[in-house]
Amino acid sequence: MASRRSVGAIAAAIVCLLCTQATAAGKECSAPSDECVAVGTWSLSVALGAGVRTNPVAGGRDIPLIVVPQFSYYGKRFFIDNLDPGVTLFDGDSNTLSLVASPGYDRVFFYRSDLQNIFAFSPTSFAGGSTSLVTKPSPAIQAEKPANFRELPRPARKVTYLAGPEWTFKHGRLSGQIDYLHEITGHTHGDEMRAALGLPLASVMGGTLSGRAGFTWKSASTVNYYYGYPGVYRAGWALNPFAKLGYSRPLGKKWEFDAFVHCERLGNAISDSPVVDRHYVTTAFIGATYAIHK
Amino acid sequence: MLLWTGNHIRIEAIRRGWVAFAMIAGSLLAPTARPAANPDAPDIHLEITPRICTLTGNDKQCATPVHAQWRSNHDESLCLVVLERPEVRHCWEHYSAGSYTIDLVFAEDVVFQLRDVSLDHVLASQALRVIREALQLRHRRRQPWNIFN
Repeated sequence: MASRRSVGAIAAAIVCLLCTQATAAGKECSAPSDECVAVGTWSLSVALGAGVRTNPVAGGRDIPLIVVPQFSYYGKRFFIDNLDPGVTLFDGDSNTLSLVASPGYDRVFFYRSDLQNIFAFSPTSFAGGSTSLVTKPSPAIQAEKPANFRELPRPARKVTYLAGPEWTFKHGRLSGQIDYLHEITGHTHGDEMRAALGLPLASVMGGTLSGRAGFTWKSASTVNYYYGYPGVYRAGWALNPFAKLGYSRPLGKKWEFDAFVHCERLGNAISDSPVVDRHYVTTAFIGATYAIHK
Repeated sequence: MLLWTGNHIRIEAIRRGWVAFAMIAGSLLAPTARPAANPDAPDIHLEITPRICTLTGNDKQCATPVHAQWRSNHDESLCLVVLERPEVRHCWEHYSAGSYTIDLVFAEDVVFQLRDVSLDHVLASQALRVIREALQLRHRRRQPWNIFN
């Protein structure tokens, strides 16, 4: 309950900040650019390279990043950004307010065939099925059977979608985004809040080094749906902070060099789960992105 | 429903009277308003195809072959030039017609001119217009959770 109140307070603060930001100076869209896109256009690109997303689920295989397609379409109001459709309610120079829908993220660790893994797939990504589930042993069990993991029946973790308002803003070189999403597919009935700030750090060798930091807050019912275990572990809410360092450099009209490292610390309610054996999820990639259409 | 009254008819008659007066006056004054046609002056017509290039979407410039064609009632010695492109010049000596095709890349209007061989006098001119389709822009979504954003 206390967490709901604190989230409400944060939401109120966001609204206040939105009001003050509305007058902040911003860059108007006058030509197609990285920041601005022509209404009615779509883009398709594919990143080719080598990368990995570590899997914190016990016994889960890390997710390779080899071919990563990216698709987007922007209408006057409607847009779709990979798996996230949305409707923009307000698009100003500094602030954009939209209603978006976005898939639940945590399922990617349990099902290699999850749609989100299609957008970060390797040739082995379509093998389907779920990650074999084992539990990490408790200290007592570990003392008796250090190498013996106990197999548990696998609870269903279905595809979920969350929807809610999304506010993005730009203030000088700083950009930010806050989403407050509620699960709408009737499985977790949970909430998520996603917030991040981004800043270009330096120009290096013709490219841009940028940094991002933020957090994802997940309500207890969301965390429990993915990481809880009936009769064994009941999860509470979790706060996952993350940081990302990225570098990109154009390599001509169609190609761009991309490299990044993204590190997310899992909240205690997730890392304490018997199905999780790591505290961090690290995603790293180095490769080139080819713009098929933009 | 339009009702014609006596006043309407009178106003219409007056208006028609003024139009007729203007036409007569115009026909009387026209010869004095323009210089008399000189039968020895060259009558040179220049045509270019296409006349318009429309930029759409993310297009930044036009790239197209442009065909220029001219004709005259006398043999002429002249050159076809493109303004602000000194590298483009094609000349004819003692011809009454000519044509020339050139591949051009341009983002602004391009003006074709026929000039005498000394390039001092413009004999005819045509412009190839660039029209930019009005682009409606919006902000691209920023999504820090997407690994490539």
